[in-house]
Amino acid sequence: MSGVEIFGGWVAAFLTLAIFSYLYKDNPFYKIAEHIFVGVSAGYWTSMFFWTQIQPNLFGRLWPKMDPATMNSGFMKIWYGIYNVLGAIFPAVFPDGGIDKGHGMHLIYLIPFILGIMMLLSISSKLSWFARWGIAYTVGMAAGLRAYGFLNSNVIGQIKGSAVQFLGGLPFFNLLGDSIFNSLIIVVGTISGLIYFYFSKEHTGALGKIGRLGIYFLMISFGASFGFAVMGRISLLIGRFIDLIDYSKASYHHATIWILVLMVALLGYSAFKDRQKPTAPEAEV
Amino acid sequence: MRALEDFILRLGKLDRRWIFLIIAIVVALPLFFPLGLPIRPTNATQVAYDAMDALPAGSKVLVSFEYGPSTKPEIHPMAIAVLRHLFSKQIKVYVTCLWPDGQFMAEEALNQVAENEFHLKYGEDYVLLGFRPGNEAVVKGVVSNIRKMYTVDARGTLIDDIPMMKGVNQFSDFDFLFSASAGYPGTVEWVQYASDPTGVPMSTGTTSIQVNEVMPYVQSGQVKGILAGMPGAAEYEALIHQPGIGTSGMDAQSIAHLVIVLFIILGNIGFYIERKRAKKY
Repeated sequence: MSGVEIFGGWVAAFLTLAIFSYLYKDNPFYKIAEHIFVGVSAGYWTSMFFWTQIQPNLFGRLWPKMDPATMNSGFMKIWYGIYNVLGAIFPAVFPDGGIDKGHGMHLIYLIPFILGIMMLLSISSKLSWFARWGIAYTVGMAAGLRAYGFLNSNVIGQIKGSAVQFLGGLPFFNLLGDSIFNSLIIVVGTISGLIYFYFSKEHTGALGKIGRLGIYFLMISFGASFGFAVMGRISLLIGRFIDLIDYSKASYHHATIWILVLMVALLGYSAFKDRQKPTAPEAEV
Repeated sequence: MRALEDFILRLGKLDRRWIFLIIAIVVALPLFFPLGLPIRPTNATQVAYDAMDALPAGSKVLVSFEYGPSTKPEIHPMAIAVLRHLFSKQIKVYVTCLWPDGQFMAEEALNQVAENEFHLKYGEDYVLLGFRPGNEAVVKGVVSNIRKMYTVDARGTLIDDIPMMKGVNQFSDFDFLFSASAGYPGTVEWVQYASDPTGVPMSTGTTSIQVNEVMPYVQSGQVKGILAGMPGAAEYEALIHQPGIGTSGMDAQSIAHLVIVLFIILGNIGFYIERKRAKKY
């Protein structure tokens, strides 16, 4: 195992145990891990988005690899002149000869480029209103894009899915598969659940009773969600424990054990010192 | 009886850190001393397995990685198991990532399964197209023209130079989709913008917390089965007869659940005892 892998194991073991130490109480180990996480995440995402989207897909479409056949026009000379100036300042982002990511030139991408810059202007109190244009475009585009998907899959698809079969040779009861009994539950659950969210009429009489039945279906659904949430959290805990057990092996020089012992000793010492501190006198009334 | 009631009430006042310690112990112990509890596939896992098992050799399957290190324990085992299953059937696997860190997960899984276990050839048996930002816009791009969305793969090779990309121009050129998803964008977006409009069948593996959100699509047949969290991964490993990380975690999962259920029961009994005493006095 390489030195880098061993060092990585020590870092991972420290950060995992530092986060777990919050279960005892807020402490400097947790603070260190929390700050590292926030800082690294911000840096990682910025770098990732720049090098996977902005550089190849935006700049790569504005200044694709130069084509000698088209470089004679005046516009292209000016356009790639700007590129060369940028390339002199940021050679890694704007390499010589244009950005070769398999794209052709699409100047329409100047619009998202300008909208993106406008969104960044939100950091200025005077120019922050520019950001609204970018946000408005994003919201409008997302709404339009999602409308069809939701209508097709969540409305039509789900109505089809809840149009259950009662006849046609289905058994009356089958715990896991299709059956008349399960179809009845789907019908009753769907209708009563929908009626619970029908607020145009007061929930009294039959409507109230059906709505109340809907609550029970919703409660069962929430219970299932809670159960799955617990299962998920335990799975993540198991995942961290499996890694910690790996890092406690001789190949990692028993990283987990050393860090755990050190952390417990320091937290124990801190708790001991805290107990010795005189308590603050109560304020006089 | 009164002493037992008092004991249960005292448990309710227990410092929560003792509960954390008990959970840590019951999760850790089975990892050191496995119990080998039986794993039986649920109907949802079986449907997903059957759908992929029915694909003939040479089929083109798109596998999308939409998770990162934070959900790796739940999703990675099922991604590994699904890749093992697909490669064992000589199926061509195309990998996309809707999450940036999904690309690292995909690289790790492909290194382990495609390169080290099956010794397959990159570009002919499998390809990692990589991450593209844009969420559902990427899904729509893959559906309409995958070559416009991916001009190069994750290794920087031009798509036109990759042999297994020949004849693959849009989503409907694939025979199946498997989405290994931990949230947005993920399974729901693939259903809405890819599988439903084109009719290409899909299955999914999700985090436990997502199961309730995705289950309506499974019930309606829009998604062919679902691998639900770590248990789903363990069940899939049982179906392909290759126990892995999912299986090794299931003993700890089961024991931890038993203890949590016990705590919930004790908590509820304590609540009723308190209420009874409050009414009495």
